[in-house]
Formats: sequence, C-alpha cells, structure tokens
Amino acid sequence: MIWMIAGGLANVGAVLLIAPLCEGVLRKVTARLQSRKGPPLWQPYFDLLKLLGKEDIESGESPALQRFVARLSLAAVLTVACLVPMGFAAPLNGAGDVILLIYLLTLCGICTLLGGLAAGSTYSLLGIGREMMTMIALEPLFAIAILVGAVHVRSFRLDAVLNGSVYATQGIPWSGLILLVVMVLSFQAFVQKLPFDISEAETEIMEGPLVEYSGPKLALFKYAQMARLVVHSGLFVALFAPWGSELAFPLGWLLFWAKVLALVLAVTAVAATHARYRIDQAVRYFAGLLAVAFAALALAGYGH
Amino acid sequence: MLKNLCQKMFGRSLWVYHANSGGCNGCDIEVLNVLTPYYDVERFGIKLVGSPRHADVMLCQGPAMRATARALRCAYEAMPAPKLVFAIGGCACGGGIWHDTYAVLGPVEKVIPVNFYIPGCPPRPEAIIYGVAMAVGLVDKKVAPVEFKQLELPIPRYHPADLRGRDEMVVYDKTEKL
Amino acid sequence: MSMLSKWKEAMVGLKAGCVTLDYPAHPRPVAENFRGRPIFDAQKCIGCAGCANNCPAREILVFDVCQEIRILQYLGRRCTYCGRCAEVCPEKAITMSHEFETATNKIGDLQQRLDLFMSTCQRCGRCFKESSPLEQLKLKGYRFDDLDNELWIFRSRAYLESEPVVDDIKIELD
Repeated sequence: MIWMIAGGLANVGAVLLIAPLCEGVLRKVTARLQSRKGPPLWQPYFDLLKLLGKEDIESGESPALQRFVARLSLAAVLTVACLVPMGFAAPLNGAGDVILLIYLLTLCGICTLLGGLAAGSTYSLLGIGREMMTMIALEPLFAIAILVGAVHVRSFRLDAVLNGSVYATQGIPWSGLILLVVMVLSFQAFVQKLPFDISEAETEIMEGPLVEYSGPKLALFKYAQMARLVVHSGLFVALFAPWGSELAFPLGWLLFWAKVLALVLAVTAVAATHARYRIDQAVRYFAGLLAVAFAALALAGYGH
Repeated sequence: MLKNLCQKMFGRSLWVYHANSGGCNGCDIEVLNVLTPYYDVERFGIKLVGSPRHADVMLCQGPAMRATARALRCAYEAMPAPKLVFAIGGCACGGGIWHDTYAVLGPVEKVIPVNFYIPGCPPRPEAIIYGVAMAVGLVDKKVAPVEFKQLELPIPRYHPADLRGRDEMVVYDKTEKL
Repeated sequence: MSMLSKWKEAMVGLKAGCVTLDYPAHPRPVAENFRGRPIFDAQKCIGCAGCANNCPAREILVFDVCQEIRILQYLGRRCTYCGRCAEVCPEKAITMSHEFETATNKIGDLQQRLDLFMSTCQRCGRCFKESSPLEQLKLKGYRFDDLDNELWIFRSRAYLESEPVVDDIKIELD
C-alpha cells in the first residue's frame, strides 16, 4: 500500500517535472535544425506559469464540460503514468492490468474529442472530426502491440507484459520485430507531433479543438500534451526496449529516463524535417500499418 | 506567491496573435520576417498562435476599416486579460497614407486601445524587435518630442517690447514707418 | 528516397550553424541611402511649407499664429519615410536620418514642432509677393490646420454621412 502511494507519487512527480523539459528540448532542437537560436530550455515552464496567471474566459457552448474535460485530460495521462514501470515496478501493478492500460490510452484521445465538443465552435468540430478519424486508425496499433506481448507471455499482468514481452518467443521473434517497425513508423502520431499532429496543435491554421480554451484550462491541456509525449515514450521503452530495467534503483531509473530522452530526440528529428500529412493520406498510411499489425498478431497466435 | 510568479512570467513568454485589418500586407511580411531564423524572435519566448483566446499580444496592422472594425473589436475582446496591443506600421499608428479615404475609419486606436506603437512603412524587422524588447523591458525608449521655439527674432530691428499678446495671438503693434 | 531527402535537409540546417543575429544586444548596420526618421533642422527652415504640401500622408501641419510666426508640426504617426519632404526642401533643412528604432508607447513622442519667425518685407511689413502669377497661384496664403486635434483641414465625405458606420462601437470621424 505504502509502496503504491510512494511509487505513484514518484511517477507522477517525475512526469510532471520532466514533461515540460522534454518539450523544451524538442523546441530547442527543432530550432537548431532550422539554424536558429530557439527558445531557452525552460521555456515551456514559463509558458505554463503564464497561462495559469491569465484570466479564465468562460466561452463556448458548455463551460462546465470544458472545465471538467480540462482536468480529465491531465488526470488520464497521469493515471497512465502510474501504470508504466519507470525504472522500478509500476505502482498500480496489482490494481490494474493491460486492458485498463489500453482503455486509459483511449481515454486520453477521447478527452480531446470531448474538449472540442464542449467548445462547439466550427473550428473545433472540424478538429475533432479529424481526431476521430485518426483515433480509429491509430489506437488499435498500440492495442495490438500490447496484445501480442500478452499472447507471448500468456498473461495480462502489467509486470509480465511491459517487460519486452513482444520478444518472448523461442527462436527469432518475428512478430515482435514486425511490430517494432510498425510502432516506430507510427509513433509520431501517438505523441501528436509532425507529420501526424493533425488534430491538436496542428490547426495552427485554426488551432483545432483547443480554439475556445484560455488561461488555466489551456494550461491543463498543454500540460496533458507534454505529458503524453513522456508517457508514451515510457510505454514504448517498456514494451520494446526494456534492457537494463533489472538494475538497482538509481541506475535503472536513470537508464529509463536516458532512453526516454533519446526517444524524444528521435521524435524531434523526425518532427523537424517533415511536413504535415493530410487526413486522408494519414488514414491510408495507418490502414496499411494496421494490416501489417494484424498479420503480426496472427503470427503471434502461431507462436512466432 | 504563485500569482506573483505567474505575473512575472508574463514578459518571458508572450503569445502573439496577428490581426491585419485592411493593410497592404507589407507589415505582415515584416512580422513574418521577424519569425524567421535570421531575426528569430522565438528566443524571447514569443510564439505565433492561431486563436485570440490563446494570445497575450495582438499585433495589429493596417488601418481600421469600415468592414473590419467590428471583427477587430471582437478579436480584442476575445483575448483574456492581461493583454497588450501593438500597432505596427504607419497605417495602424495613424491611419497611414489612406487616412482620408472612403473605407478607412482611422488608426487602430479608434476601435481598440493601443499600448505600443511601432511606426514605419513597413518597419524594419529590427524595429519590430526593438518595439517588442521595449515592451518586455530589455531596452529603453529612444524618441522624445522635439520642440523648437525661436527665442530671438532674427531681424534685430523688431524690438521684443513691441510685440503685444492679444488672446493667443502675438501681434506686432508698431505702425510708424522705419 | 524520402528518408535520404530528410537527412539532407537536417544536414543543411545543421551545417549552416546558428544564423540568428543578436539584435538588441548588438546594433545592426544600415545601408547608405536608408531612409529613417526625418529630422527637421529649425535653424535652416524658412517656413515655406513645401514639405507640408508635398507629404503624401498629410503628416506635416502648418498653422499661422500671426503674420510673422508660423508653426510647423511633424506628427510622425503615419509617416511613410518616403523622403519627398527632404527632396523638395529648398534649404535642405530636412534630413532622412538612419534612425529606425522609433517604437514608443505614446504616439506623441514622435512629433517635432517648429515655431518659426517668418520675415516680412522690410519696407511695408507685408509678406513677400511671388514674382510670377503661376507662383502666386501656388501660394496657399495663411494656413490654419488644427494642431490640437492633429488634423489637416479639408473636407471629407464624413461630413455628408449622418448615420453611424457601425452601431455598437463608438468611433469619432473627422
């Protein structure tokens, strides 16, 4: 019990502190790749503090739902953080399993949809239409990755699956390798960075589902976006690159965050050099990847 | 305490909304130049956002026209406090060359209150960065009004004692021939 | 191959290094014929109002206090820095300086106001008459632009309209 609370606090605190730093690294490295100086590394902290100090304008169709959804989005992401092993066993290990994880990941996406609906303006409805199309094509990919791991180790427990289980076959883990390639090709969409940030920050042309949020509610949404980058990277590392997680406490923890930072740098490099995909191009891309992922699931069923 | 911190962070991370209410786009291009790698204003933490509800600063350029006056006012009222308005370019500061045409109401300050003026046609990107740095507090103002009054009359024959004040006009009050 | 083009793109960006100019810290040079803010030299000005007549934005206002004193006011708000005033000035009293850092929080900071003494004929005390009738036609005589409201006096169509332009915002028209 104590372990659950302490571990939960440690995980949530680490994500809350490190998420803006990862976003700062992303903006700085993007700037350097574009030959300019870029904002300081602590810039997202300043952004969030400034947003918390602004006036909260109640606008949009349903302000009560807007308030609720702003808090729900950050809460969903932080709950996922409690289910991810970050250098030590996940705090909510005994309390949840892999199905809960898949559900919570989908909830993070649904928060965007609810946010756009609560605002009710034309631009936000356009944005959530695109987010819905993306989610339909995208959430199954992560679900299939986790399911393949579950099929290999024949269990739904978190500590069994989130431990490199996709590679846990005799012989060459074909399904694991295929899924690694599929996830690498679609990871940008989970963390909503270019070339697939179609719904959220994308419509800087129109600002998407967040168009009617201001001040503290916007700060919560932005924080949720930054935390999604870190938490999804953590999940990716736990599923596909768990080597070294058996080390003792300080070293394993540091190694985990080093791997997450390396993944964030890779995401940055791809995001800085790619242009945004249109929604139909993106859905066709994901449909192709989904077909390959189903093939990998079939292979896993046969034990490869 | 948190409130103080939030208010101090205001100057470090200004989010900018760009509103062109009828200008020729010259100042638009200069503002976009300011966001390019050469002049890079993002190192001050300034980011271009697409919605006035997310923004702290509204960059207005172009004069206030009949067709866009209401839209400009709505965009200003959609911004959450605390907010700043910058009027960029001659058209936004004073109506521009078009200040007396049929479609122009006047400078932007006829419709929304303006905090900082950056004159020019169009202002250089460095001038825009100077204006932003002045608003944030990094540099000081460099212009002041200049007034020149001629203290002595150039033709020494006109004695100053012969000038009489009548209402606000000063009249030379000596009629004999010299 | 699309991957190769992205790699080349990243390399181009990195090889250029960091091209950002350190602007407010270091001053930036301007070209030789750069037209910045016009500076009015009152010692040379003879008060002919040629600059006021030539300004395309009607930025220079002229007010005759009496026969001998003329006030020239440069507002600086809508100046387009075109340089026509400097070009037409017969005494070269206006120079287009190299100043462009003219941002301010009060628009009145940009004005320059000259109170000038206009010389009159030494014998009769009246203003000079021009030599040819064409030149006499160009004289505008006494000028009374509105200095307090900063308006160039002329008739605009606004006088003809009685209903307001937009009804929910209070706007003053001149």
